[in-house]
Amino acid sequence: MDSIITTFHIDWKIVIAQALNFGIVFAVLFYFAIKPLHKLMQERSTKIEKGIDDAKTNADLLKATTEEYEKAIAKARIEANEIFDKNKKEAEKKKAEILEQAQKEMIETIENGKKIIEAERVKMLGEVKNEVAGLVLQATEKVLAEKNK
Amino acid sequence: MITKEKKINIMEETKNTNIENTINADHGEISHEATIYAEPIGHIGNFPITNALLTSWIAVLIIVSVVFILNRKLCERPKGFQNFFEMILDGAFSLCDQVTGSRKLTLKLFPLAFAIFFFVLINNWLGILPLGGFGLIEIGEHGKSFIPFIRSGTADVNTTLAMSVISVIGANIFGILSIGIWKTFNKYVNIKALGSVATKFRKDKSVVIVGPITFFVGILELIGEFAKVASLSFRLFGNVFAGEVLLLAMSAILAYGLPVPFLFLEVFVGLIQAFIFAILVLVYFSIASQDHEEHDESNERGHAHA
Repeated sequence: MDSIITTFHIDWKIVIAQALNFGIVFAVLFYFAIKPLHKLMQERSTKIEKGIDDAKTNADLLKATTEEYEKAIAKARIEANEIFDKNKKEAEKKKAEILEQAQKEMIETIENGKKIIEAERVKMLGEVKNEVAGLVLQATEKVLAEKNK
Repeated sequence: MITKEKKINIMEETKNTNIENTINADHGEISHEATIYAEPIGHIGNFPITNALLTSWIAVLIIVSVVFILNRKLCERPKGFQNFFEMILDGAFSLCDQVTGSRKLTLKLFPLAFAIFFFVLINNWLGILPLGGFGLIEIGEHGKSFIPFIRSGTADVNTTLAMSVISVIGANIFGILSIGIWKTFNKYVNIKALGSVATKFRKDKSVVIVGPITFFVGILELIGEFAKVASLSFRLFGNVFAGEVLLLAMSAILAYGLPVPFLFLEVFVGLIQAFIFAILVLVYFSIASQDHEEHDESNERGHAHA
């Protein structure tokens, strides 16, 4: 043992000094590097985990919302179609009604016109008859007057 | 060897230039041999400051400044330096998990293992720097000899001994804290095993042989603890010191070019030795925290069920 100590110059003062050196290194590394860094890394990993979870829920929410939206759009489209069809039918019905009415009115108007024309003709004929009779009378009178002369 | 005679400050360009040749004809032959111990370069009172101690102080300074730079720039979005450090920390954590077997134990032991790794690594690498060319010339009993200011902190048994003593004592304290003082004591002086000879004799006759053997194994473990101190300290010291000698020898053969591959080798050896020291300490700590008895008993129960 003594030979080892003398050969390697083992000096307890230096051993203690080196132990102190190592103690400083250990303390500084532990309190200023490993501890805060590990804490930071753990905090970050929990944050990342939370972020991933949030992203997942967000994606699910987005999917659900999109589905709802599409459903609503589809429903609205069907309703719009229904309303459109209904309106179209009504419009056609109305159109037909209007057409019918117009035809009726037209026929009535034509008939009325015919009646008026007929009445006018009868009236005119009567007048012509009267006039012709008057003329015949006058002519007859004139002829008679000349004969009597 | 070391006498307090006249010391002359000299500066050399590199440590690799020569081992044993003359630098200056006026001073005569200057010995450049690598001593197996760290040489003092100064004294405070009667406290000797060796070159290895100085290097260790520089290593401490480097580590402290690195840590404070890191600490000041710590932010949630890592960039640059912090990123690199986090990468190391993450890798080291998973490596520790493989050794300890549980994250909980890793979190307890990691700071110590990492501090050991970092301290040993910086010390190892500081020895490779060509700054070893700066030093003193001392006139000793064997003529003039060159003493470099910088010598790997770990190329001095005092340093490695301090660290291995801290590690082994620390492992045992950790064992006491995690499994209790009685169980830790029984690992080495196995009174329980001796007692079981009397208590379990009726159930199992073989305990007459097994009990004393278990007690003897405990004594072996006690010796093993001292062997751990010796093996930890001399492994690290031997490797780093051998590296320094190798570099000196190579530069003595041919100072230009030849030492380069060996410099790379020493960079690698420095890393590997730091890693081995840290991993071994981790293993010692995790072994100390495990309860052997419990393991055996559960095994016995398992066999009984079968």
